[in-house]
Amino acid sequence: MKALRLLLRTLLTFLFVISLAPELHAEKRIGVIMTGDVPYYGAMQDAFVAELNRRFAGVEKIEIILQRPFPDSISWSNAARKLIAFDVDLIVTYGSPATQAVIHEKSRIPLVYAGLYEPDQAGIVSKNVTGCGFKVPLSSIIRYFKRLKTVNTLGIVCSGIEEDSMRQYETMKAVAEQQNMKAVKIDIRSRADLDKLKTKKPDAVFITGSSLAHLWLEDIMSILRKEKIPTGDIFPDFPEAGVLMTLFQPPHQQGEMAAEMAAQILLGEKPANITAYTFRDTELVFNLVEARHLDISFPIHLLIEATKVIE
Amino acid sequence: MNRPGRTLRLILCLLICLVTTAAMPVAAPAQTEELLIGIEPEHNIFDQMERYRYLAGYLSEQLGVEVKLTIMSRYGEVIKRFKSLRLDGAFLTSYTATMGINELQLEPVVNPVNPNGESTSQGYIFVRKDSGIRDVKDMRGKSIVFVDPATMEGYLFPLAYLERHGVTDINEFFNRFYFSGSHVSAIFAVLDGRADIGAAKNTVFNRLVANDPSIAQELDIIARSPKVPEITLCIRNEIDRDLREKLAEVLLHMDKTSEGRKVLERFKALGFVKSRKADFIGIEEMEQEARTAMGNTEK
Repeated sequence: MKALRLLLRTLLTFLFVISLAPELHAEKRIGVIMTGDVPYYGAMQDAFVAELNRRFAGVEKIEIILQRPFPDSISWSNAARKLIAFDVDLIVTYGSPATQAVIHEKSRIPLVYAGLYEPDQAGIVSKNVTGCGFKVPLSSIIRYFKRLKTVNTLGIVCSGIEEDSMRQYETMKAVAEQQNMKAVKIDIRSRADLDKLKTKKPDAVFITGSSLAHLWLEDIMSILRKEKIPTGDIFPDFPEAGVLMTLFQPPHQQGEMAAEMAAQILLGEKPANITAYTFRDTELVFNLVEARHLDISFPIHLLIEATKVIE
Repeated sequence: MNRPGRTLRLILCLLICLVTTAAMPVAAPAQTEELLIGIEPEHNIFDQMERYRYLAGYLSEQLGVEVKLTIMSRYGEVIKRFKSLRLDGAFLTSYTATMGINELQLEPVVNPVNPNGESTSQGYIFVRKDSGIRDVKDMRGKSIVFVDPATMEGYLFPLAYLERHGVTDINEFFNRFYFSGSHVSAIFAVLDGRADIGAAKNTVFNRLVANDPSIAQELDIIARSPKVPEITLCIRNEIDRDLREKLAEVLLHMDKTSEGRKVLERFKALGFVKSRKADFIGIEEMEQEARTAMGNTEK
């Protein structure tokens, strides 16, 4: 059975490569792995493409092969293998799981990552890899929750299959406990796990930067809204998603820096010579439309902290 | 015969002098019926007005003069507002008090003593511990948040400090700088990562840390200014001297009476101490030191 699956996967990879054969004439090819349809990664990718086009306009043809695997180990692994089989000049990944999947394949193709939470804590050890990531002070989200309502129990939505999501869970748990709050882990690995949100009723919920959680954000928000539970997030989504507050690192900066790193590598620089970078600047968004749904009123002296207010 | 005529002339002269003198206006001090006192806005002006309301009531009762309060729109407009609102005095922070003393010849009267027993404050320059910023050279290309151009702790001190370390043009040195409008906001901006470096008043910083000790674990203070009077009640020198002296006396002694102590508790102070012009010399020196950087910031 296993052998059959492997054969089928190899065949699919081969067919995929053949189907894209005419494109092999491009001068440089970049393979991109962007998990699911996460708007945060989407914004990063848009900035990456725009910056790359700006740098290579009229100089060299750049072709981008975009992979959007579903957030699970097999899909990430398949996406990485496809790009390696395609023999691209460079791979770009967004988020920790996609990055780890490419590194796991031990390919010689250089890798540039972006959207990685605290890259220096991600355990990336490879000469062929560089990139940029971000850090958001998670304690700030707790502080803002506390300024809005009494929070004794904090739910943390994470995904056990995503390394960076779990690191954020551990950090947030430690911060919550330091603030005398009980942290409740809500591990989402499948759609069925969303039911956990109905049984555990925390005072507020923090959503980690999990691709899986953001793929089902609408469902998560629908459950939490019924219970009038406010949410905080570190990935900006569409305002309609209904997250009460979002503290995030602007994605376009990471996309632009990833493009700058990619350009250097395509021009012959070794990834080992390009220093990885962690962005620490953030923006804070309060959603007043959602606040009204939740019967929460933002004091004026709190509202002035926001970079943006959704009304 | 001469003598009665001379006497008559003398009486006539005296009468003329008396009448003339009576008709001349006398430069007597005008009777003050009310005192309009300005307050610089803090982070939460509703709480602030409530605190000052009790004090104004107490002063009205003790002085026999109605003491009215008004919030000045923002820090930077203090001198302008002092004139336009025709204020008789104001509770001013250290830098605006210095400006008021120099530009409007205001008299510093008293400083409130906060519940920690201090009447002074100092400026802090701080960063997130995980920012990697340890000194001025690490600050190049980063973002900095100030409080307001009229604050010593949140603007004048950091500019003087930067200038002392060779930074005269903050436009060129920093990637971005902005004014948060309050000390609390400047602290939260750095905590959140919305700014890399911040400057604010130590009393506000310490109050936030007392409420949430994790703040001290996340922030590093990399510079401290000298201590200066935090708040000073300054009065126009045209106000009747007796009234000024009585006002100072009432405030300086209000911690000696039970009624005064009740008001102080609501005002969130232990008492008042006497203020002197000499207390503000350090700020004038700081202003001299920061002059080039200030000029470049306003470009």
